[in-house]
Amino acid sequence: MHPVAFWIAAGIAAGLAVTPLIFLILDKTGKLKPALRSDLWTRYKSWLVLAPLMVGPLLAGRLAAIIGVGVLSLACYREFARATGMFRYRAISAVVALGILLLTFAAADQWYGFFVALSSLTISLLVIIALFADQPKGYIQRVALGIFAFSLFGVCLGHYGYFANDKDGAGQAFLLAILLCVELNDVFAYCTGKMFGRRKLAPQTSPNKTIGGALGALILTSALFATLVHAIVHGSALDQPVHLVAMGMLLSLTGQWGDLVMSSIKRDLGVKDLGVTIPGHGGLLDRFDSLIFVGPAMFHYVNYFLGLGLDQPVRGITGH
Amino acid sequence: MDDWQYKPAGDHGLKHEESFKSLRREVGLLGTITQTAWRLAVRGYLRGYHRLRVDGVEHVPAKPSFVMVANHTSHLDALTLAAALPWPLRRFAFPIAAGDVFFETPAVALFSAMMLNALPMWRKSCGPHAMQQLRDRLLSEPTIYVLFPEGTRSRDGSLGRFKPGLGMIVAESEVPVVPCYLHGAHAACPANRKMPLPLPLHLRIGAPLTFGAVKNERAGWQEIAAKLEAAVSALRDAGQ
Repeated sequence: MHPVAFWIAAGIAAGLAVTPLIFLILDKTGKLKPALRSDLWTRYKSWLVLAPLMVGPLLAGRLAAIIGVGVLSLACYREFARATGMFRYRAISAVVALGILLLTFAAADQWYGFFVALSSLTISLLVIIALFADQPKGYIQRVALGIFAFSLFGVCLGHYGYFANDKDGAGQAFLLAILLCVELNDVFAYCTGKMFGRRKLAPQTSPNKTIGGALGALILTSALFATLVHAIVHGSALDQPVHLVAMGMLLSLTGQWGDLVMSSIKRDLGVKDLGVTIPGHGGLLDRFDSLIFVGPAMFHYVNYFLGLGLDQPVRGITGH
Repeated sequence: MDDWQYKPAGDHGLKHEESFKSLRREVGLLGTITQTAWRLAVRGYLRGYHRLRVDGVEHVPAKPSFVMVANHTSHLDALTLAAALPWPLRRFAFPIAAGDVFFETPAVALFSAMMLNALPMWRKSCGPHAMQQLRDRLLSEPTIYVLFPEGTRSRDGSLGRFKPGLGMIVAESEVPVVPCYLHGAHAACPANRKMPLPLPLHLRIGAPLTFGAVKNERAGWQEIAAKLEAAVSALRDAGQ
């Protein structure tokens, strides 16, 4: 295990252990209203289940992480399909699911060429498969929703699976650092928004978000992620202030945009939550929305400036 | 096909155990896979173990929605009626099952929802609200109900009185109701038996009836029940 990965995992465990104490102190000093307190406890209890489910596969090794990401992609698509009504178009849904399974396979096989090819191939197949219903009315909307869902929950989230392949273990440490910082990004935005937030960020899309919260999260998350990346890539080409700051800001911004994207989707659909899977949070997508764009952004940033060995043929399953 | 509209699943926003019991439950990709596997297994079982014979398939309407009603003596009944439908119609079939048997525990409810595609009927507390939900669904989307108007399995194999509740679902509508009679299920698997005997089953499907002219009120419901009871009992006698 990468030493930084170990320390992040230990930090998450310690954080979860200390959180109830913070709640108790806040409660004793009378700073928590009963509704907020019960909401916080529900969310905390969900995190006690979620955190091991997310960190466990990452620590267990690359194959467990890749399969875990594949399951998450499928579950996110399921939630999206049931909220929009896409699930009624079974051929399109089946192709999206097939595309996700193949992406998972390509990641497990470390066949980057196929991983990339699957975007255009699956999109082509989605456009073609929808022909067979012979119902031109609504064709564009059905196909577009299928492509939209596959791009977000298949291709974008799939980058987390491929990231787990990185040979010297830095991928694992990166993934843990990203998970931790993306989730804290939300917490920072919430807290600094409460303290300094006045002007609304996007009142039509998400009425509770403020510019103060967004900037607070940008500063705090960037600092934390830059520190973690510095520890992970110590002494390499990425270990320069300009890269560290750029990656930190990129993570915080893409994380917040992911959050806003899902808010837009929910507003458009007219639903409050996309599911009921996680008590206190809503559906999986209500929790994992911020991760969607961070994965590809970080993956390609690291690959461009440091290299993830993608130009090397590996193909552990299909090779030779 | 109309323009695209966002339309969440009927059971969207319900927790899993509640969505199994929901009368508006809709099946996705996962449910399609489990139910298709289940239907293939049941079809093989009924053909192989019970040498199922079906007469009158031509009476089955070409398209949903419609209702299949039959005599009820055995747990085999709903399986047989659903299996008698032409393959493209089968995924629209919802057996209406006793809530207190098929939806009592979460594990059984999971099986009833994901395999049987059953919808619950709560016999002790079934108000007009539930019947209205069933009626709305039947009239608004492609749906086939498989139901047993006697309300319970006949313990001696004879045909019992049809309850009028069914009338609430189909009165004043053009939804066809297909009467059926299943021979042999009482001998093969009566209510007091766990494992079925390898005895033959013979399903007879009759010509559909519609009740568009029958008033949606108590007298009309009773008239519908009486007509269907007569149709099913005629199918029984025709088979002898």
